[in-house]
Amino acid sequence: MSEDTNSPGGALSNPTRRTVLALGAAAASTVVTIRPALAQTAGSVLNCEIPVPGPQAAGQHIAADGSLVSPGTPGAFAPPARPITGEEAKALLQRGMTPPGMDSQSAQAYANYIRRLQSGMSGFTCYASLQMPR
Amino acid sequence: MTGPVYAADEAGTVRSVALDGLVALYHAPSGMTHIVAPPAPQILEALRDGPGDARAILERIAALYEIDDEAGAGSIEARLAELEAAGLVRRA
Repeated sequence: MSEDTNSPGGALSNPTRRTVLALGAAAASTVVTIRPALAQTAGSVLNCEIPVPGPQAAGQHIAADGSLVSPGTPGAFAPPARPITGEEAKALLQRGMTPPGMDSQSAQAYANYIRRLQSGMSGFTCYASLQMPR
Repeated sequence: MTGPVYAADEAGTVRSVALDGLVALYHAPSGMTHIVAPPAPQILEALRDGPGDARAILERIAALYEIDDEAGAGSIEARLAELEAAGLVRRA
């Protein structure tokens, strides 16, 4: 593994050689996604729920960037009164639609929280399945 | 005129392996693996410098590569749409 491991273009880019890069036709696809077994759950995915925050962080508030902060932190938002459903999360993340009963600023903070979910956190599987291309 | 501004996830969230001209990307937040062809890896690399629209991304790429294309920013827009659909970039 080289130090470029975390850098998608690192293995290809070489500023000193001035490699010729063809941008290609607008219609030519350049991304192929390998679906994990999780994709098979796509049918039921929109019924899943994402607690904001997860049970381990109950009582924490959500800063605008999605991080968890103590209640009373300026600019942070109280958690929603109910979990956000998969369908709502998808509409929120992809089209910026605020879930019913929430205000748009809080919803953006919740969206950023959802984007930060990592494997093992409550709601991650739901979020990951939302990422599956159609 | 500026187009939509896109951002990529932080560098540590994506692992990449070069595959003879293609690049395999493992996107940890979604658990998905993507195989991408140029110029997709270069677009993601350009976004490591911060969010940008297609024109800004093209300028960053042009600083490193000879661009062999007339469509320019239009091609970048099309690639960004694909990367967005794959969850590798998002609107900033």
